[in-house]
Formats: sequence, structure tokens, C-alpha cells
Amino acid sequence: MVSIIVFLPLAGALLLLLIENHDGRRDAVVRWTALGASLAVFAATLLLWSRFDPTRADFQFVERHPWIPAFGVQYFVGVDGISLFLLVLTGFLTPLALLSSWESVRDKVKEFAAFMLALESAMLGVFVSLDLFLFYIFWDAMLVPMYFLIGIWGYDRRIYAAVKFILYTAVGSVLMLLAIIGLAWMHNSITGGGHSFDLLKLYDLHLPPQLEFWFFLAFTLAFAIKVPLFPFHTWLPDAHVEAPTAGSVILAGVLLKMGTYGLVRFAFPLFPTAAAFFAPWLAVLAIVGIIYGALVAMVQPDMKKLVAYSSVSHLGFVVLGICALNLQGLQGSVYQMLNHGVSTGGLFLIVGMLSDRRHTRQIAAFGGLKAVTPRLVAAFMLITLASIGLPGTNGFVGEFLILLGVFRWDPRMAAFAATGVILSAVYMLWMFQRVNYGPVVHEENRALPDLTRRERWVIVPVVAMAIFMGVFPGVFLKPMQPSVERFLQRMSHPSVARAVEAPSPNPADAAWRGAAASGARVKH
Amino acid sequence: MSPSSIAAIVPILCVTAAGLAAMLAEAFRAPGEKMPIGGLGLIGLVGAAVSAALLWGRHATGFGLVAADTFGLFFVMILVVIGVMTMLLSPSLVEREGLPEGEYYALTLFALAGMMLMAMATDLLVIFLALEVMSLAVYVLTALRRDAEASVEGAFKYFILGGFSSAFFLYGLAFVYGLTHTTRLDRVGAALADASAAHPTFALLALGLLLVGFGFKVSAVPFHMWTPDAYEGAPTIVAGFMSTGVKAAAFAALVRVITVAFPSLHALWYPVLWGLAAVTMILGTVVGVAQTSLKRMLAYSSIAHAGYLLVGLAASNDTGRGAILFYLLAYGVTNLAAFGLIGLLATDDRANDDLPSMAGLSNRHPALAAVFSVLLLSLGGIPPTAGFVGKWYIFSAAIRSGDYGLAIIGVLTSVVSIFFYLRVIVMMYMAEPGDAPRSPEPSPAAVFTLAAALAAIFYLGILPTRVIDLAAHSIGSLF
Repeated sequence: MVSIIVFLPLAGALLLLLIENHDGRRDAVVRWTALGASLAVFAATLLLWSRFDPTRADFQFVERHPWIPAFGVQYFVGVDGISLFLLVLTGFLTPLALLSSWESVRDKVKEFAAFMLALESAMLGVFVSLDLFLFYIFWDAMLVPMYFLIGIWGYDRRIYAAVKFILYTAVGSVLMLLAIIGLAWMHNSITGGGHSFDLLKLYDLHLPPQLEFWFFLAFTLAFAIKVPLFPFHTWLPDAHVEAPTAGSVILAGVLLKMGTYGLVRFAFPLFPTAAAFFAPWLAVLAIVGIIYGALVAMVQPDMKKLVAYSSVSHLGFVVLGICALNLQGLQGSVYQMLNHGVSTGGLFLIVGMLSDRRHTRQIAAFGGLKAVTPRLVAAFMLITLASIGLPGTNGFVGEFLILLGVFRWDPRMAAFAATGVILSAVYMLWMFQRVNYGPVVHEENRALPDLTRRERWVIVPVVAMAIFMGVFPGVFLKPMQPSVERFLQRMSHPSVARAVEAPSPNPADAAWRGAAASGARVKH
Repeated sequence: MSPSSIAAIVPILCVTAAGLAAMLAEAFRAPGEKMPIGGLGLIGLVGAAVSAALLWGRHATGFGLVAADTFGLFFVMILVVIGVMTMLLSPSLVEREGLPEGEYYALTLFALAGMMLMAMATDLLVIFLALEVMSLAVYVLTALRRDAEASVEGAFKYFILGGFSSAFFLYGLAFVYGLTHTTRLDRVGAALADASAAHPTFALLALGLLLVGFGFKVSAVPFHMWTPDAYEGAPTIVAGFMSTGVKAAAFAALVRVITVAFPSLHALWYPVLWGLAAVTMILGTVVGVAQTSLKRMLAYSSIAHAGYLLVGLAASNDTGRGAILFYLLAYGVTNLAAFGLIGLLATDDRANDDLPSMAGLSNRHPALAAVFSVLLLSLGGIPPTAGFVGKWYIFSAAIRSGDYGLAIIGVLTSVVSIFFYLRVIVMMYMAEPGDAPRSPEPSPAAVFTLAAALAAIFYLGILPTRVIDLAAHSIGSLF
């Protein structure tokens, strides 16, 4: 089941390569095939969700086969409550991204669609891998299609952005590679059971403290670059701005989540002592990122760049929630990953639509769109509000839970982080106002077409999802909870120096969580 | 002369016979007559492969000087792969570059015979002999484009420096003999284990001189100076052959010498190899960044790859030696295919082997551009390709012996190398098409070779188990 989901897009990509498409004569066939394949994947992820047992904390749908016995490598995949929704999110965003590029990508359509699908396979693979070797293969393999997507179909400085993207990420990941190999050898020398990349076995490994610290840093560097955590974020604005719309959507929607997912799945539980030691430092970096990202976003003249920096800020929240190491913080983080995928993905889609119309993304080139394209502006507004975290939208639930968790850990941090919420309202609303309100100052803008039918198909699901996730967070939070609790149990290993606040069985926690969820409902 | 002694050298005899046949064929060829001389080479190589397969696991020794152990036979197999790919790619390239056919095939086959002998030799003198057989043939191959200045210059540099390195090797051999009164590797090893404490200076001198000789052949920094010029000057397919075959053979002998003759001097050679590996990786990649000629770029990349292989050797454990075998196979297939592909891009009047002429290749030759991208990504070690598994294996060995320093240098330099491999991809896919003309369609044999190389790269990258097991098994015979 899981394998089928992971390799279905790749099969679609290979199928596309078989289609003869000289001079773009069969572009339509190619587009529909790719869309069909990605929709099939989405359907499959939904099917997975429906069969998922929300009461269990273990990995489900596990497949385990020996792969390279000489290295102790297995093909080992499975899904738990944390990865389940990231799969669904990937399945949800890819067809939308393909649909959004329907008209803006005219050159080498077949290759574009094939790279998108190959990228989807690699992303899904990252989320289900439970063997570190397998994980690393998907993690690195993902760089290649993204590199081509930015480099071939991007904007003017695309080559610079593409190379910067791949080099930055590669530097981080190769050090993680060494840490992975080191872990496998340590498994051999500590347990004598040969070297193993099996995540579940490595969870139980007790490393010498010094090694654990170094390994943690190597893993965290890789993930921090991907997130991106301040000060490793400089590749992101370039990559986002230069990438084609579909690339930006995937980049913001899914790729960045791999960093935070990696922290939750690998870096923290594999090295709990080191994680507990470094968590406050990471949290400080996250807070700096939240505020810095927001301030820089505020002064951007380019909408895409603004959204890119807002991602730095929002992802800071996610990292902060993870560092809090309690139920609310972590659940909020995982939820916020999904939210950010939906709302920032949506923002990039909107910016893409505006830039398709005017071939510019400068805020100053717009103004007064409300009268010209009311439907587009309505969608824009809903997604903007979701991104700010207005109660009733998805962003509220995630940020609220994170701040709650952080407050219980360290109120000072929560106080600083909360300014990020305010700042995000400032820069988002200010941009929204400059683009959509006031008089129409540019004559070209008077005749802009409103949403086309295709664009409605792209944006309505995003808006609907943002509201649905804001109103019914329990649908998502409940299946997550057992896995999150399991994570906290792993983290509260006896050797952990800092006492982690009563993790799961505390009834007060459940009450808090319920209050948060119902709070969202009431305020709506 | 017992029959088993002859049996051990049958693979070498097959290739030598094919080389002789190629010479004869050339001698009896009417001027202008087309003759499939490469076919003779293929027959010889298939013979070598079959005999190597039959000898597998029998531990035949020839005359006490040559061992058909699994280690040697694995290298014979690698060399057969390199040879077959060269033979299949050659016809169209030889014609396009106007090389003399008979000489080309005969010399290539003699060089292969020398390489195989080098991989199987267990006596320092025989190693030297094989080294010379191989080197002389390759010097001439480098100079085969007699009318091209670069070819002559590269060959001359290669020859002069190669001559020096042979002298160093011989000098080191003399010291070894002086110390131990034998040139057989196993006896040298036994003697040094007893006596090394008595003459550490001479032992160090002997080892150092031998390492200089090997360093030249594997193009390790600081003995790499000839490499870029020789590769650039040599006919493209010869450069590919040199960069893979010579390196494989030299590493085969180096691994054997280090592990069989000098294990007792680990404390002496470990820091030397460590330093060589580090400098070689760093310089190969850093200077590689500055190249605009693809052949020079691949030359520096092959220097860097020698550095990775040295990491495997410095790790001095089974994993490292197994990794060298796997890596050389992966690297051999990839690099030779890359050179062959550059050769195929040449047109009658221009070589098209610099970065600017790659611009827009994805429009002119989409298939070739795609294949080249995969080859470059494999050289850069991106999964799921053979290059990735090779690097994984090498660094795994380094980490196993606690060598985090070398491993970190290794992975960081491989990121730098990704940068220059990507530059080619940038030109092919993202730059505005330049004025480079369309190259002639590649011959079916060349297409087949590239397709097979591609299949091998993904096979080794996704399902490497069988080859890894084979490599690990081959290492067992070394002691």
C-alpha cells in the first residue's frame, strides 16, 4: 500500500516519458496524464487515511524487506500519525501545482510534468522511510528534480537560485550522511548486532554522550538548512522567487516540512539527551527567525519574496513548538506544518495567478484589484487570513497550540514568539491592502480577467481546506495524538537531563487540547 | 611449468593473443579496406572474462609470481568491462578523430594485458614489468593524434613524468630487495614483520619510493601534474580508457602491495596515505571548479576520485578494500561512458568539448543530454546511482576505522564537485543554445554501450547487493 503510493508518481513520470511529444503537439495529453496520475496518488493517500487506525501509536502499513544485507540496509517503510497527514498534504498539493502551471508552462511540458511527479515520489518516500539509508536516498534524490524545476522553468536568476539551492542543501545533507553511517557502526559496536539503519532499533541505542552531540548537530544542520532555520535561510528567498509557481508551491508546501519532519522523526528521538540540551538554543534561533523573517517580509516590494520570508517566520513557529517538547507544542507544530503547506501554498498560487496576468510580482504594480477581480481578491483574502492565523482558519489552531506549549515551557519565549503573530498580521494585511484596495493606479490593471474556471479549481480546494482545518481540527489532531505521545515518551528517556514536563498521561493536557480545539470552534 | 601455472594466466593470454591478432590483421589489411579489428579485441576480452569466471575460487597461482585469486580476478572483470566498453565505443570515435586503426586496437589490447597482469601479480618485479607494459602502450596511445600539438605535448609530459615515476618505483623495489632479499610480496611481508624494527629508515624509504611510483599512476596529488594535459591531449576515448583502466590497475597493485607486503608498517604509511587522500580530494575538486574544458574537468574529477579511493585504502579495513573494488567498477563504467559521450559530440571540424559548446545540448540531442546528466550525477554521488553507493561504501569504511576527518573532507569535497558537474547540466539544460553544431548520430554500438552503462549505473545504485557481496568476498583472498 505505502510502496504503491510512493512509486505511483514515478510510474506516472516514466509513462509520460513514453509519450511522443514533438514540438509540444501532445501537450494536452501530457498535462492530463500527469494530472490524472497525481490525482490517483491523492486518492490513494486518502484511502490510506481511511484505513489508518487512529488509536495506535505504532507504525502502520509496515513493509520490511532486506535490501543490501552487506550494509544492513532494509527497504523499511511505514506510516504513523505524524507522517500520515504529510502524505495527504503532498498528495493534495501536487495536482494543484500541476493545474496551476497549466498555462504558464509552455516549454518542455513533458519534462516539467515528469520532474514534478518524480519529485512527488521522492517527497513521499522521505515521509515513509523508516530505514536511514532509504531515507537518505529519497532525501538526496529529491534535490535533482527540484533543481531542474527551478533551473529550467524559473525566472531570470533561476540558474543562480537552482545551484544555490542544491549546494546549500547538499552541504547539510552530506554531514548527516556521515552521522547516519556513524550511527550504523555504533549500532554494531554497542549491540554487536551488525550494522543497522533500522530506525526502530536505533531509537533504542544508547550512544556515548559526546558522539550523540556531534551526530545530533550533523542531523540538525541538515534539517535546519531545509526548514530553513535562521541563519541558514538565505537560499530560500532566492529559490522561492526564481522558481516557477508550481515549484514554489511544492517547495513551501512540502519541501520545507521535511526539515521539521526530520527533527521530529530523526534528530530529536534518535539523540534525546543532545536534543534536550540543544532545544533552548534551537528555540532561540527559531524566535530570531520568527521576528527577523517577519520584519524582512514587511519591507519586501516583491510579493513572492514577501511570502518567502513569511515562510521563514512561520517555520520558526514550527521549530519552536518542537523544542517545547510537550504535547501541545508538538501537536501544534505538526498541525502547523500542514497549515503552512495549505496557506502558503495557496499564497504562492495567488501570487502566481497575479504574475501570470501582469508578468510582475511587484506590489507597487498593483492596487485596487478589489473592483477589477473580486473573486480572486476574495480567495486572496481568505488565504491571507488563514496565513495570519485568524480564529476559524487553520493557522489559528496551530499557532495557538504552539504558543500554549511554549508558554508552559518558558513564558518568555512565548512572549517573544507572540510578537511574530502580530507582525505577520502587519505585513500580510499591509500587502493585501496595497494590492487590492485603493484606486486602480495602473491602467493595465483595469482589464485584468477574474478567476478562470481552471483557476477556480486550483484555489477553491485550498480555501476550503484552510477553513475545514480551522473548524474541525480534531479530525487531524486525533489520529496524530498517539504518535505524538509516543514521541514524547521516547524523549523523556531517563537519561534526559532536563525533566520533560509530564508528557502524555496527564489529564490536564487533554483538557488543554480540547479547549484549544473547541476554542477555535467557538470563536468561529 | 605446471598446467595450473598456465591456467592462472589464461585471461592475460587471451587479451595478448587478441592484441597480436589485431597487429597481424593490420599488417595484412589492404589500404582502405574496412576490417572489424575491434571485433578481435571483443573476442579476446570475452575469452578473458570466461576464463576468469572459470578460475573463480580456485586460487590458481602462476609460477609463484601471478595469482588468479578472487581479488585479481575481480579486477580482471573490471578491466574486461572497461575494455569491452572501449572496444564498442571506439569504431565511430577512431574514425572521427582519424586515428590509425590497427595500432590503436593493438595498443589498447596490450595495455589491457599489462593492466590484468598488474592486477594479478604477486611479485614486485612482475608488477614493475606489468606497469611498463601498460604504460608504454598508453604513452603511445596518448600521442596517437600525431598531427595535434596538444596530443604530442600531453604524451611527452606523460612519458617524461611516467619515466621518472617508474624509476622511483624501481628504486623503491631495490630498497625492498636490499631489506628483505626477496621481491615476492608475501615474503616481503613476512620479512618486514620481523626486521622492520631494525631498519625503519630503509623501510620508510622503500615504501615512500614505491608510493611515489604508484602516486603517479593513480594521479594522486602532488604527482598529478601530467593528468590534465595528458587527458586533454589524448584522443577522447583514450583519455577515458586511461582514466579508468590505468587507475584500476594501479590501485589493484597498490592495494595488494600495501596489504600483503607492508601491513606491519601501518604506522608509517597510514599518515602518508591520509595526507595524500586529503590533498588529492581537495585539490582535485577545487581546481576542477576552474575548468572550462570538459576533458580537463573530468581529469581533475578523476584526480579527486583517486583521493576517494585512497580514503578507502587509508581506512585499512576490509570494508575499505571492498569499497575500492566496488568504487572502481562504478567509477570505471561512469567515467568511461562520460568520455565516450564527449567523444560522440565531436564533429568533423571541432571537438565540442568545452563548456560553452554544451549550451543547448538538451535541444540538439535530448537523449545524449539526459544520459550525460545521469553520468555526471553519478560522478557527483547523487542517489540512486552507482556513484552514491560507491561513496557510501568508501565513507562507511573511513568511519568504521574512526577516520571522521577524512570522511568529512570527502563529503565536503564531493559537494564542491557537484558544483562543477552541475555547471555542465546548467549549460545543457538552462543556458541559451550556442553556436555548436549538431553532432552526427551515434552508431548503434555506441548507443548500446551508453544504454548498458546507464543500466549498470542504476543497477549498482539501486540493487548493489550482488556486486557488494562479490567485492567483499574477493577481498578475502588477499592474505
